[in-house]
Amino acid sequence: MGDTELELSPSHLEELQKSPSASSTSTTSSLSLPSSPSSGRHPFTSSSPSASEGLPASSPPLDVISEGVGELSLVIDTEVAKKACQEVLQKVKFLKSDGETTPASFKPVLVNGTAHNDSREGESGELNKPSKIGEEEPPPGSVKSARRRQKNNSSKQSWLLRLFESKLFDISMAISYLYNSKEPGVQAYIGNRLFSFRNEDVDFYLPQLLNMYIHMDEDVGDAIKPYVVHRCRQSINFSLQCAWLLGAYSSDMHISTQRHSRGTKLRKLILSDELKPASQRVRREILQPPAPCPPPLHHAPGLNEHGLSPSKRTHQRSKSDATVSISLSSNLKRTASNPKVESSQDEDMSSSSDSLELEAGTPVRLTPQREFIKSLMGIGKRLATLPTKEQKTQRLISELSLLNHKLPARVWLPTAAFDHHVVRVPHTQAVVLNSKDKAPYLIYVEVLECENFETSSVPVRIPETRIRSTRSVENLPDCGITPDQRASSFSTVPNYDNDDEAWSVDDIGELQVELPEIHTNSCDNISQFSVDSITSQESKEPIFIAAGDIRRRLSEQLAQTPTTFKKDPEDPSAVALKEPWQEKVRRIREASPYGHLPNWRLLSVIVKCGDDLRQELLAFQVLKQLQSIWEQERVPLWIKPYKILVISSDSGMIEPVVNAVSIHQVKKQSQLSLLDYFLQEHGNYTTEAFLTAQRNFVQSCAGYCLICYLLQVKDRHNGNILLDSEGHIIHIDFGFILSSSPRNLGFETSAFKLTNEFVDVMGGQDGDMFNYYKMLMLQGLIAARKHMEKVIQIVEIMQQGSQLPCFHGSSTIRNLKERFHMSLTEEQLQVLVEQMVDGSMRSITTKLYDGFQYLTNGIM
Amino acid sequence: MKSDREAMSQERKAGLLRRTSSSKKTLKEKVVLMYDEIFTKDDPAKSNPRFWDELFLMKVNLEYLEGKLESLDGDEVMVKENINSLFHHCVLALEDEHQIKVVNALQTLCALFRGVYQKNKSATGFDIINMLVGFDKAELRMKNLMESLDSLLCGDGSESLKSLCLKLLLCLVTVTDNISQNTILEYVMINSIFEAILQILSDVSSRAQHGYDAVVLLALLVNYRKYESVNPYIVKLSIVDDEATLDGMGMVVHQALTEYNRQYKDKEEENHGGFFSTLTNMVGSMFIADADEKLSVQTNEAILLALYEAVHLNRNFITVLAQSHPEIDMAATPVSTTPTTPTTPLGTTPPSLDMMHNPELPLDPNLQTSNLLITFLKYSSIVMQDTKDEHRLNSARLCLIILTCIAEDQYADAFLHDDNMNFRVNLHRMPMRHRKKAADKNIPSRPLVCAVMDLMVEFIVTHMMKEFPMDLYMRCVQIIHKLICYQKKCRIRLHYTWRELWSALINLVKFLLSNETTLLAKHNIFYLALQVVNLFNMFITYGDTFLPTPSSYDELYYEIVRMHQVFDNLYCMALRVSTNVGQWKEPASKVTHALVNVRAIVNHFNPKIESYAAVNHISQLSEDQVLEVVRSNYDTLTLKLQDGLDQFERYSEQPKETGFFKELVRSISLNVRKNVSLNTLSQDVLLKEFSSIS
Repeated sequence: MGDTELELSPSHLEELQKSPSASSTSTTSSLSLPSSPSSGRHPFTSSSPSASEGLPASSPPLDVISEGVGELSLVIDTEVAKKACQEVLQKVKFLKSDGETTPASFKPVLVNGTAHNDSREGESGELNKPSKIGEEEPPPGSVKSARRRQKNNSSKQSWLLRLFESKLFDISMAISYLYNSKEPGVQAYIGNRLFSFRNEDVDFYLPQLLNMYIHMDEDVGDAIKPYVVHRCRQSINFSLQCAWLLGAYSSDMHISTQRHSRGTKLRKLILSDELKPASQRVRREILQPPAPCPPPLHHAPGLNEHGLSPSKRTHQRSKSDATVSISLSSNLKRTASNPKVESSQDEDMSSSSDSLELEAGTPVRLTPQREFIKSLMGIGKRLATLPTKEQKTQRLISELSLLNHKLPARVWLPTAAFDHHVVRVPHTQAVVLNSKDKAPYLIYVEVLECENFETSSVPVRIPETRIRSTRSVENLPDCGITPDQRASSFSTVPNYDNDDEAWSVDDIGELQVELPEIHTNSCDNISQFSVDSITSQESKEPIFIAAGDIRRRLSEQLAQTPTTFKKDPEDPSAVALKEPWQEKVRRIREASPYGHLPNWRLLSVIVKCGDDLRQELLAFQVLKQLQSIWEQERVPLWIKPYKILVISSDSGMIEPVVNAVSIHQVKKQSQLSLLDYFLQEHGNYTTEAFLTAQRNFVQSCAGYCLICYLLQVKDRHNGNILLDSEGHIIHIDFGFILSSSPRNLGFETSAFKLTNEFVDVMGGQDGDMFNYYKMLMLQGLIAARKHMEKVIQIVEIMQQGSQLPCFHGSSTIRNLKERFHMSLTEEQLQVLVEQMVDGSMRSITTKLYDGFQYLTNGIM
Repeated sequence: MKSDREAMSQERKAGLLRRTSSSKKTLKEKVVLMYDEIFTKDDPAKSNPRFWDELFLMKVNLEYLEGKLESLDGDEVMVKENINSLFHHCVLALEDEHQIKVVNALQTLCALFRGVYQKNKSATGFDIINMLVGFDKAELRMKNLMESLDSLLCGDGSESLKSLCLKLLLCLVTVTDNISQNTILEYVMINSIFEAILQILSDVSSRAQHGYDAVVLLALLVNYRKYESVNPYIVKLSIVDDEATLDGMGMVVHQALTEYNRQYKDKEEENHGGFFSTLTNMVGSMFIADADEKLSVQTNEAILLALYEAVHLNRNFITVLAQSHPEIDMAATPVSTTPTTPTTPLGTTPPSLDMMHNPELPLDPNLQTSNLLITFLKYSSIVMQDTKDEHRLNSARLCLIILTCIAEDQYADAFLHDDNMNFRVNLHRMPMRHRKKAADKNIPSRPLVCAVMDLMVEFIVTHMMKEFPMDLYMRCVQIIHKLICYQKKCRIRLHYTWRELWSALINLVKFLLSNETTLLAKHNIFYLALQVVNLFNMFITYGDTFLPTPSSYDELYYEIVRMHQVFDNLYCMALRVSTNVGQWKEPASKVTHALVNVRAIVNHFNPKIESYAAVNHISQLSEDQVLEVVRSNYDTLTLKLQDGLDQFERYSEQPKETGFFKELVRSISLNVRKNVSLNTLSQDVLLKEFSSIS
C-alpha cells in the first residue's frame, strides 16, 4: 500500500509541477503554511530562534554561525534579525543584484530556518515580490519566470505540501525535488528539511548534493550550504569527504571559473578548518590555558596559504610531509621512549596542535588525516615510476615500513564502517595490484576501534618486538599493557596460546636444550614423531616408522592445506587475495604487537593514484540503490557494491572485496575450467557446499548481468570479474559505463557477459538453475523498473557539469531510461530477458573480447 | 712528500715553531714553554695567577706534550703532583664557558692519558690512576670529568666539541691493549655515559656525524670486564627499547657495512675492468710493493662487534635487522656537507646519509630495497671468501656467530621466513675454476632465509682446504640446523632447492673422508660428520613437516642413493675408529648409530634399483627411473626414529667464546687507538665555528 503511493506520487507530482499550470508562488505559499517541518521535529532548530532574535554574538549558537563567515555576515545577520519578515525577499534581491557576494554571507539566514518560516506565515502577501523581481531578471530566470507566471493550482499545492509533510517524503525525494524544482522557496525548504534526515541517509547522496552545489544555480547552492556547513562542524570525516568531493567535481570546470567557483570556495573554507564545533573549541581552550591565541586569528594566514595549495600541490608537499612527521613523531617519541607512562590525551592534543600551529601554520584538526592520505598517494605516485612489479612491491613494503614509524595517529580509513584509529600497517602484507601503467596497491591496516576518532585518545605506540615480550612470561609486568586489557584479550582471542600453528610461547626455547635431562620434558605438539620420540626415550626401545608413512603424510598434508596460489612475481596480488580473509586476519593479528587488544580490527584498502574514481563512485551508488531496491522487493539477487572514496579527480581509495580473486587469476593459477574449479573448491555436484556455491553464483550472476545491462558496463574481461570463496561473482572496474566504451572497436555488443563457462557452472542451458537465473533477472528488472526514478536520479544529477566519459553525448539519460522498458508488459519483459540471455550466450564478441584481452594484456 | 710530513711532525714534537733557515736559532711555541713550566715548577700559578687560563687558550701541541710526558723523569712525587694538577685544571676547564678552552682541555686530556699510559706501560692500573689523578681525588675528579663529558655530549653545543668528547673517550678506552686491564674505566662504569651515547644515536643529525664513534665506543665499553663483573653498559644495552635509538644504531652499522661492500665492489670492478685498467694496475703494482694488501679492503671488526653485541644482548634490536630502506649507494650520492666532521677519523666513517628520516625516499628505479640483514649477508659473503688472513678469519667467525644468534631468535626467524618479504640478495661468490660466476640478474626474489641458506651452502662448498676451518664449519652446519628446526616447528615449507644443500653436505663428508688422517690430527671431525648426518636424519624422518613437495622427499632419497658410496665409506671409517681404543672411539660410534637410517635407505633401494635395471635391461638408469623405483618402494622400508634431532644447544658466549672475544677486542682496541686522531680536527675549523658562537 505504502509502496504504491510512494511509487506513484513523486512522479505524478513532478509531472504536475512541470506542467504549465504549476506555479512557483503556489509552492512558496504552500510552504509558508506549516512551520512544523523544520521547527518542531528536530533538535537543531531549538537553538536557532534565539540566534535570530539578535542575542549577543558571544552566545554559543550564534557563534557557531558567525565564525568563518566573516564580518559581512555579522552585519547582515543582525539586519536580518531585525527584518525577519523580509528575509527571503531580501536574500533573493541581494543575490540577484549583487552577484559578487559570496553565498557564504547569507548562510545564517538559511540556518535559522524557523525564522523565515515564521515570517512567511504572516506576510504571505509579500511573497509575491520575489517572483516579480525574478521576472525582471535576464535569461537564466526566463524559464523560471515563465513558469512563475502561471497561476497556482490549489490542489497541486496541497499535494506537494502533503507530500513534503508525509512520512513518505524521504531523502531520495528530497534530492529529486531539490534538483528538479526551480523554485528557491522549495529549494530552501528542502535545504532545511535535509537536517531532519538521518546522517547516513543524506551521506549516500553527498556526491549529488555537492555536485548540485557546484554546478547548479545559486539558489540550490544556498539551500544546500547550511546543511553542509553544519555537518562539517560536526565531523572531521564529513569535512574531508566534502572537501575531496568538491575538489573532484569542480575539476571539470574551466580552470579560470573553477578558481572562483562556489565549490572551490567552500572547499577552501572547509580545509581552512574554520568549521569547528564551537563546544570543542571552548573545551580545548579551557583545557590548555596557555594556548597562544584564539584559533581564528591564528588561522587566517593558514587559510590564505591553503588557497594556493591545490594548484601548487607538488610544491607544498615536502613541507607538509615534514609537518606530519613533526606532528606524528612528537607523539611517537614520547611514548616510545617511555612506553610505561601513558601521556594523557589532552597533552597529546595540545602538544601536537601547538607544534603544528607554530611550525606549519596549517590547521590541526584535519591535518593528520590529510597527510596520511597524502602520503599514501605519494607512495602510489612513486611506485608508478618503477618498471617491474617486483621492484614496486619491494618499494611499497619499505615505504610502508617508514609510514609505520608515524603510527598510531589520529588517522582512519574513510571506507570503514566504524570509528577507529590506525595503529599499524603490516607492511609486508601489502601488494601491488595488476595494472599496466598505474600502480594501484592494496594495503592491510590494523586499527583499534574506538568510540569516536575525534575525541577518543590515540592509542599508545607499542614497539614491534613487544609481541615477543608480551608472550613470554618473564616480561609480563613490563609490556605496557594493563592487566585487565590482557585478560580481556585472552578471552576474546580464544586459543591464543593453545594454537598449534602459532609460535606463541617461546616454543623455540622448548627445542633448545641446555641439559640433556630436559629431553624428556620437551614436548613437541606439532609432529606426531616427537610424541613418539618421548615415549621412545622413556621406554628406551627403538621406535620404527615406515618411510611410506612419512611420504604419505607429506602428500596428504599438502593436499589438506587450503588451495593456495603459487607466488608469481608478475602477479603478486593473486596469493594475497586468495588467502581466506579470516586466515589472514588471524595471521596478522598474531604477528602484531597490537593484536592482543580486544578492539583490534583489520581493514584493507586499495589505494589508487592516477585513476579517476568518480565513475566508480557513480556505479557504487547505482549498485547500492539497486541492491536496496531488490532487497525491498525481496528479489534474491546478490550484488556487492564496494565502497569508493574519491579524493580528487585522479586519486582515491577502494574498499577491496575480501575473499575474492579474479576469474583470470583463478584460471591462470588453477589451469581449470570454471566448473572444475568450483568442483575443486566446493566439492562434488551433489554436495551441499557445491549447491550453495552454485546458487550463490547464479544469484550474483543474474544481479550483475542486470547491472551490466542497465549501466552498460563494458570492458568485461576476466580480470575485472571476481569470484569469491562462496561462489559469488563480483564485477569490478566500472571505468566504462553508460556512454563510454573502450576503444570503440565494436566489441562487447551483447547486453552482458555470459560465457559458456558461466552457463556450465549454472548446470547447463537446460538446467533448473539456468531457468532460475533467467527468472531472477526478470524479477530484478521488474523491481528495478518500479523504482526507476531512484536510479535515474543518481545518474542524472551527476551529469551536471561533468566531463566524465560515461556522460558522453546527449542521450545518456534517455538511453538509460529506455533500458528500463517502462512501456513493456511483464510478458514482453520476459521475452526481452530471454533474448538478451540468448544473445549474450551466442555472442562471439564476448569471446573475441576475451581473446583480444588475452593477446593484449595476457588476461585469460 | 712522506718524509716531508715526517719532518714536520718531528718539529712539532720538538716544540719548534717553524723551521728556520738553518736551524741556528729555534723559537719555541709559548704553549711548549708553558708545558715545560708545569713540569719544572711547583705551581706555575704562583708566579702567574692566570697561568691556567692562558694555557687553555693556547693551541695544544699534542705531540710535544705526549713526548714530554713519556720522557719525564725525576722526582716521582713531584711529577705526579704536576700531572695531577694538570689533570685537575683540564677537568676544571671543561666547564668553562669559553669553548676554545674546552677544546684545548679535551685535547690536553687526551695527550695526558696517552702519555702517562705510554710511560707507565708496566704499571698496574691503580698506579696509573694514582699517577694521573691521584688516588685520594680520583673518584671526584673522574666523576666531574664524566659529568662534563656527558653534558657536552648531550648539550646543544658545537658538533666539533661532541666529536672531540667521543674521541677523548675512545682514546681513554683504548689506551691499554687489553681493555679489561684499563682500571680507570671503572669510573666510566660508575659514571655512565650510556645515555649520552643513546642520545647521539637517536638524533638524526648527531648520529650522522658521531654515530660511528658512538657505536664503536659502546661496543668497546660493553666489553670491559665482560666476564668478570657486572658491566652496567651490558645491562643497559640489553634493555633499550626505544625504537629510534635502536634504528639509529642499526643505521650506523648498516652504513658502515654498506660502505665496505661498496669499496669491495669498486675494487673488484677495478680488477676485472677493461684492458686499460689492467694495464694501469700492472704498472701501478710495479711501484707499490704491497699491492696485494691494497686490493683487500680492511674489514671492520669494530662495527661488526657492535652489531654482535646489539643482536646478542638486545632482543629488540632484531626488528631493526628487518627494517627495510633503499640501498644506499654512496657512489651515486654526492658527499653530503658535514663541515665540522673530520674526514674518516676511524678509517671508515661513512658520509652522513640518513635515509630513515628522510620523509621521502629517493626516486631512483634502480635503487634496490635493502635492510641491515641483507647488507650484513652481503658483507659476510665477502668476508667469508678468503679466510686465510687472520683478520678475515675473525670477521668470518664473528659473522657466523651473529648469524647463529639470528637463527635462534624467533622474531628473526619469522621475518626470515616471511613469504611476503622477498628480496634478491646478491651474495658474493668466490670465482672458482669449475663454475661460472652466476649472473646477478638471475637471482630470484625469495624469502631472506634462502639467502642465508645460500650463504651457508656457499661456505661449505668453498672452504674444503688444507687449513680446514673446522670451527666455522661447525657453526655453519648448526645455523642450518637451527633454521630447519624452526621450519619443522612452524611447518614452513620453504621452496628452496634443497638438493644444493644435500650435495654440498655430502661433498663435505667426502672431503672429510679423503683427508681423514690430516684432519683427525687437529679436529674432531666425527662431531662435524655427526651434525651433517643428523641434518639428513631431519630430512628423512621429519621431511613431511617442512619439505615443500612430495617429490622433494623423493629427491632426497635419490641423492642419498646416488651418493651412497660416501655414506658407506663414512660408516666404514667410523666403525673402524670406534672399534679401536682411542680418543675418537665415542664420537665415531655416535656417527655409526646416526647413520642407521641412511644405511637402511641405501640397503633398501640399491637392490631394488639393480633389479629394476636388470628386469628392464637398462645399464644406466635415468633420474626419473630411479625416482620411480624410489616412489614405488617406500612402503617396505622401515626407519628408526632417532632422538633429539630437532634439539640444539643454544648459543652462549661463555665459556666457549670468551677467548675469541678477548682477542677480538684487543685487536679492535689497537686498531681504534691507531686511528683515533685528534689532529684531523683542524684548529681553523674550530676557531671559525667558535668565533661565531662566543
